[in-house]
Amino acid sequence: MLNFIWIIPLLPLVGFLVNVFAIKRERDAGYVASGVVGAAFLFALLAFLQLGTLPAEERMVDVVLWSWISTGDFRVPFGLMFDPLTGVMTLLVTGVGGLIHVYSIGYMHGDVRPVRFFAYLNLFIFMMLILVMADNMLLLFLGWEGVGLCSFLLIGHWFDRNRVPPGLVPSKAAVKAFVVNRVGDAAILLAMVAIFVNFGSLNFFNIELGETILQGFVENAGLIGAATVTIPGDTFLLTTTISFLLLIGVTGKSAQVPLFVWLPDAMAGPTPVSALIHAATMVTAGVYLIARTHPIFSGFTLGLVTWVGALTALIAGTAAIAQWDIKRVLAYSTVSQLGFMVAAAGMGAYAVAIFHLLTHGIFKALLFLGSGSVIHGAHDNQDMRKMGGLRKDMPVTFWTFLIGAAALAGVFPLAGFWSKDEILATAWSNNIIIFFILLTTSLATAFYMGRQVALVFFGEQRDKSYHAHESGSFMTIPLMVLMVGALVGGVMNLPGTHWLGHWLEPVLAEEAVELNIVLAVVTGILAVLAALGGWWYYVANAAKVKVGAQDPLYHYLGAFWEGFQEAWYFDDFYNNTVVRGYRGLSNFLARVFDPEGIDGIVNGVGWVLTRAATGVRSLQTGYVRTYAFIFLVGVILIIGYLVVAL
Amino acid sequence: MVPTSYYVLLSAILFTIGALGPLIRRNAIVLFMSVELMLNAANLALVAFARQQVNINGQVLVFFVISVAAAEVAVGLALLVAIFRTRRTTDVDEVSTLKG
Repeated sequence: MLNFIWIIPLLPLVGFLVNVFAIKRERDAGYVASGVVGAAFLFALLAFLQLGTLPAEERMVDVVLWSWISTGDFRVPFGLMFDPLTGVMTLLVTGVGGLIHVYSIGYMHGDVRPVRFFAYLNLFIFMMLILVMADNMLLLFLGWEGVGLCSFLLIGHWFDRNRVPPGLVPSKAAVKAFVVNRVGDAAILLAMVAIFVNFGSLNFFNIELGETILQGFVENAGLIGAATVTIPGDTFLLTTTISFLLLIGVTGKSAQVPLFVWLPDAMAGPTPVSALIHAATMVTAGVYLIARTHPIFSGFTLGLVTWVGALTALIAGTAAIAQWDIKRVLAYSTVSQLGFMVAAAGMGAYAVAIFHLLTHGIFKALLFLGSGSVIHGAHDNQDMRKMGGLRKDMPVTFWTFLIGAAALAGVFPLAGFWSKDEILATAWSNNIIIFFILLTTSLATAFYMGRQVALVFFGEQRDKSYHAHESGSFMTIPLMVLMVGALVGGVMNLPGTHWLGHWLEPVLAEEAVELNIVLAVVTGILAVLAALGGWWYYVANAAKVKVGAQDPLYHYLGAFWEGFQEAWYFDDFYNNTVVRGYRGLSNFLARVFDPEGIDGIVNGVGWVLTRAATGVRSLQTGYVRTYAFIFLVGVILIIGYLVVAL
Repeated sequence: MVPTSYYVLLSAILFTIGALGPLIRRNAIVLFMSVELMLNAANLALVAFARQQVNINGQVLVFFVISVAAAEVAVGLALLVAIFRTRRTTDVDEVSTLKG
């Protein structure tokens, strides 16, 4: 099976093509799309199991399908690889992705463009698989850009709607996501140039291509990094630059400070898209990239990575408290959790970051799908102020959502508890300031999840204009499957066994984090208290929650609350500087520079030529006689000159 | 034997007459005749010099000039007929639309 790993990404590609060219009916599209991703999951599972039978140091397969680019020294194979890290990522992408495909059959029923939707979902899975299976940076970048494209297309799925809750314009949100990501992608491009200049290859690991051996830059990072070259070719300096550029790319794709602003707006897309792309898989690509290329991250950049992650976690975690839109809470929560992963990676705990990536992928997909089920049942309502008491009408959604929320809040013994606890334990032994930032964030996380559960499912229904109903089984079965994952996901890396840590050891050699029992108990109890606090406060003050009124907590926090609501005014900052500056520049170019400058030059040239020509044109009389006369005069002058000169 | 200079002088006079034609006359047929006059003035000079130098090349060249001139006249007269059909005139000043 391991030599046929190309089947895994091929299946969703086939699904995409079939959907695009052959399928007309909504039901067929859903079945085909889900079928191919399910099959891809089975193949990935087979490959994964077979990889497990190999000895630990041989768990790395590289299949070069063809030579992709070959110009001089620049040689890039179209090669796919499968190692423990790729294995778990592939399983997450196809497993959670497959469930979300099935869910979409129910959620997108009656949509205007269902076939296109499923085609794009398949294309996304294909690109994501290319991203995690690529054996070189360029192919990874192809997937990286491909998932960005699919994100753009799917955020803008309802491009013909002028406004979707909470006051977003899908087409604008799509463009925003695309443009913000360009900043990071440009940095990745520069990083690739620097990698090629420095290491002479874009491959991660050494591979044979024909008769030559391509040196892998990840594999040789230590060797070349140890060599000292004088400035400006100092290798230490160059690897720092490379990792810094990669970090910028990560902040774009994984929605970190300062480029996280696109992710909350990406909620303009259909909810399964939010679950698949903007929670479980695509946004984790940045964390994957750090883990994959971690040998070239050095002390300085790692510190930066840690701070970026921690600040993101805090900013987004507090922003999530103050949102009314059910999906926006989860969006900020996703940004915050990605901050946790990036911070863990920055502290060198790559396996822990991947552990949190996996558990988060499961329970955040569960939460998003649950919120989609709520939105569906509440007749396209997304405002939590209009909900309340839905647990009676939607029992399955309530219980699954509750489990997901508890997992995210870090309640013992659910999946989120174990992964978050390991991150906190890492921070505790590395950097006490980071630890307190992350601890605060995790308490905020527990609080806003308690708030959300209280607002949506408890009390009385505040807006009685609709009658909520439970969703169909296409939607509830994926919820239940994911709920099982959120319940038992922690067994992947329980303290003591550390199965995931050992599994990833060939790729991410690192010491397993020791269980700090006191820390785990204290943070666990605090998380439960914060969650219960959030739940209790909003159940008790449910009467004060209504559209047009401030949140009950606004009374105590005032300006802070407004800052939280606006996510610390990052969007306003960008609007007032980048967006407004760019608009001003565009206005100047369009209204002044183009008509006055460019057109002025063109018209000026024409004017000068016309003026100069009016003098000369009178020579062209049209009379043969005149021409003959001038001709004769010319001949006489030339002959006269020759006679005189010679 | 007539000195070569006489021939050359005659050739120059003929050429000048021919060159004056386009300058003072407007009838296209007369212009053709003037052109022929200039060509033949050149022919005369060529033959005269060839004879003085005892060199056959000049005389051979004259045959080429005559045949090319014949072809040129054929084309020119055809043009003239075409112009006359549309304009009802052979006055070249009437055919002056091609000016700046």
